[in-house]
Amino acid sequence: MRRSKLPEWFVLLLPAFIILAAVVLIPLVLSFYSSFTAYRLTRPDSINNWIGFRNYVRLFEDAGFWWAFGRTVFLLTIALNLEMLLGLGLALLVNKVTWGQRGLRTIMMFPMMFSPVLVGFQFKFIFNDNIGLMNNALQSLGLTDQAIPWLVDGGLAMFSIIFAEVWMSTSVFAILILAGLFAVPQDPLEAAKVDGCTPWQTFRHITLPFIMPFIYIALAIRSLDVARAYDIVKIMTNGGPANRTELIWTQLARTGYVDAKMGLANAMGYISIFLAIFFTVYFFRKLNASRQILGMAD
Amino acid sequence: MANVKLKNVVKNYGSLEVVHGINLDVDHNEFVVFVGPSGCGKSTTLRMIAGLEKISGGEISIGDRVVNELPPRARNISMVFQNYALYPHMTVRENLGFTLRIAKKPQSEIDQAVAEASAILSLDPYLDRRPGELSGGQRQRVAMGRAIVRHPDIFLFDEPLSNLDAKLRAQMRVEIKKLHQKVQTTIIYVTHDQVEAMTLADRIVIMRDGYIEQQGTPLEVFEKPVNTFVATFIGSPPMNLLHGRADNSGKNITLDDGVNVAMPSRLAGKYADKDIIFGFRADNIMPVGHTLPQGDESVEIDMTVTLTEPLGAETLLFGEIGGTQVQAKMLNPRIVKPGEKLTFQIDLEKCHVFDAQSEMVLD
Amino acid sequence: MAMDINDKHRLKNRLLKAGHLIALFIAMCIICVPGLWVVVNSFRPTVEIMAKPPVWIPTEFNLDHYRAMFGAVGEGGIPVVRYFTNSLIISVTSTLIALLVGMAGGYAFARYRFKGKAAIFVGMMLTRAVPGIALSLPLFIVFARVGIIDTHFGLILAYVAMNVPFTIWLIDGFFRQVPKELAEAAEIDGCTRWQAFWKVEFPVAKAGIASAGIFAFLTSWNEYALASQLTRSVNSKTMPVGLLDFTSEFTLNWGGMSALAVVMIIPALILTFIVQKHLIAGLTFGGVKG
Ligand SMILES: Nc1ncnc2c1ncn2[C@@H]1O[C@H](COP(=O)(O)OP(=O)(O)OP(=O)(O)O)[C@@H](O)[C@H]1O
Ligand SMILES: [Mg+2]
Repeated sequence: MRRSKLPEWFVLLLPAFIILAAVVLIPLVLSFYSSFTAYRLTRPDSINNWIGFRNYVRLFEDAGFWWAFGRTVFLLTIALNLEMLLGLGLALLVNKVTWGQRGLRTIMMFPMMFSPVLVGFQFKFIFNDNIGLMNNALQSLGLTDQAIPWLVDGGLAMFSIIFAEVWMSTSVFAILILAGLFAVPQDPLEAAKVDGCTPWQTFRHITLPFIMPFIYIALAIRSLDVARAYDIVKIMTNGGPANRTELIWTQLARTGYVDAKMGLANAMGYISIFLAIFFTVYFFRKLNASRQILGMAD
Repeated sequence: MANVKLKNVVKNYGSLEVVHGINLDVDHNEFVVFVGPSGCGKSTTLRMIAGLEKISGGEISIGDRVVNELPPRARNISMVFQNYALYPHMTVRENLGFTLRIAKKPQSEIDQAVAEASAILSLDPYLDRRPGELSGGQRQRVAMGRAIVRHPDIFLFDEPLSNLDAKLRAQMRVEIKKLHQKVQTTIIYVTHDQVEAMTLADRIVIMRDGYIEQQGTPLEVFEKPVNTFVATFIGSPPMNLLHGRADNSGKNITLDDGVNVAMPSRLAGKYADKDIIFGFRADNIMPVGHTLPQGDESVEIDMTVTLTEPLGAETLLFGEIGGTQVQAKMLNPRIVKPGEKLTFQIDLEKCHVFDAQSEMVLD
Repeated sequence: MAMDINDKHRLKNRLLKAGHLIALFIAMCIICVPGLWVVVNSFRPTVEIMAKPPVWIPTEFNLDHYRAMFGAVGEGGIPVVRYFTNSLIISVTSTLIALLVGMAGGYAFARYRFKGKAAIFVGMMLTRAVPGIALSLPLFIVFARVGIIDTHFGLILAYVAMNVPFTIWLIDGFFRQVPKELAEAAEIDGCTRWQAFWKVEFPVAKAGIASAGIFAFLTSWNEYALASQLTRSVNSKTMPVGLLDFTSEFTLNWGGMSALAVVMIIPALILTFIVQKHLIAGLTFGGVKG
């Protein structure tokens, strides 16, 4: 008499499935398809112009693309590691404070609320060679009498971008690691002290293994939106000077929207997606492994 | 040599003083037990000796060296914690060897020390497990093993057995005693279980509210409690205490309900006209015909039994004298019905008299 | 000799303490100064911002940039009020929808056992990992076909999809903290499963749901990569996109931009401040106790 029912869990997940399918999966299928065509935004019927792997071949042969790809991996590696280390340091500093910790925690979260575009502008402003805070400060302190071309020199521009990225995202690490530090049981710490550990050894052998899962959560969360760095770069340098800060994402945007070569851009898109997925899967794996070691898994 | 000396050691948390100027000398190889009710400052004192808490005043020395400012690692001590404090991410073997690994000892030495400790505590089957895969008793043994491996000058134990069930606790008590005989070090041991204290200690230190009330061998504190607190805290069942008054000759005591007993002869005449507390243990009040051979001095007293607790070889009898509950023992027991009136003998030589005001013993 | 060691350790402790405070101070400065500088500049006249040599101590504070921003609509000024309302409508709506969808999904993950659960979970997370700019290309094509480019609806849809995976993750973690027995007890007491959820489990997990909401809101509020392609005009442009209105080929209106930045930050600041405690709890429950 009753219709055979779908399992409850499936019904509950259905809205999520539908939305993700509509907004992510179907467009991705489309972009996957179009990455095998010579689709140009300006000529809509060119989407039927099947060219096989030619877009991918072109990318693989394009040194500029590989530079951008390498630069992206470089930026992510440096930024994520720096964020992790600085976040760890910051969390340890705050954790040691016995007074006014709540206030410090709030300040610590400050950069998390900033839109990446805003961060981009903020640092474009700060690193401006003429009126920027950085040069003004350095000159007023007499450390230099020249205007350092932060965003105009290739190497310095990369540095500035990493600085902005790290400023924005270190707090994610700091907050999660701080939560981890609160959760470290006191007994083993005291036992280690009595067992003869120096503060460094206590940290290395006891504290660190305990907060590892928290570090990996932070890395996993961060890897979900590493591409936010696009916003920053787009604003600060837009890939310049002379492509010295070109990332896979900025190149992709230019190819797709400025040059209107959608097929080619989608091929790049797929490569960038695999990059992001690689980071995400890698950190989720690590997270699970570290949870297992501490017996915190399901 | 690893003796421990506490000189006027004070601890306060903010404005709250929880340990008030403690003085204590622990000899080399001595087994000292701190007992006292919950919150009296036992753990705090132990942790100050370990260096886990800074002292707020006074001086602590270990083996003639003042250690006030030294971090725990510079004190060459080992500590066994109530919750074991094992490192959950290391195997038993790694837990045991950790302290030597930290000290950068060669692997061969570590292996040997671990094997030794594991043999002493029968941990061999578990060496490659993680703490999460062990029972409570096994974890406790690992915690002790970890302490042994280091060959410390001093062992500190903070209620190491309180998380175990009664049977295991009795068993581990024996293990600890054996351990002390085998490794021959100074041990300071905290517990609030007086049975543990009596069975383990060379010397018992009884604490209350941040003060040391009395210290001495188990027998001393049992037989010569300095005040009513120690008298009731040590020994099971606790000492019976009855309020009364010494008459003007100082040779008789009138208890609260008018019963008269003689003042023990060693005190006779010394305290006349004085409010006192008269104390005796259950072992020293027994029904006539069910007693041990009596000493020279004893008094007889009638009491109605309200409740019995048969323990097998003996029976505990509960009654009331002057509205205060009294526990008595009956050897070679027969069945006693509640409501039955018996004549009891109190061994006066073993009785204690305390000042009712100060609650200190009179002698 | 004995006193020597003690003195040495005492001195060492003092030095460590001092070093700690100095390091903390520097760290906090680095965190605060860039943001504060923007705030300060939003109140300074452009001449002073551009001054060479720099003016360190501001001589006058005024609201000119704000006045220009809010007042000059229609005269080539920037329709900040429209951007603000667009941002608000889009962020709030998409957050609410994402929360509903996320609650259903999170509950499913927390309370039901089914085949392929772990795989489905990771799959959902991966959809979030797709870079916005990469997604914007095909989304642009699809939205253009359907005709929802430059509408609130289009952006809301995109943001819901973007937020659902993370919302599910957080809410799943919170529901797991609520013991199953609680709902079971309620059912025994005569509730339906539906009532048990709303009367027992939902209130207990409320804090977590709120923190998931803040995350979703902040993500939408601050998003740029998708919005920059899917919006065209005042119809739907949000503030992050609007920021670019202050740039032209060769000049940048720093003061005006700083003022808009402040307008953007304030709501985010207030919200984050309210839920900061739950925020941490939310992230860690979801992750560690997994
Ligand atoms: N960090 C602290 N801040 C304030 N007071 C404290 C702190 N630690 C302990 N105390 C107080 O100090 C007193 C002694 O505590 P301690 O832990 O030494 O008791 P203990 O004798 O070990 O009791 P237990 O048998 O319950 O373990 C207690 O009254 C406790 O409330
Ligand atoms: Mg204690």
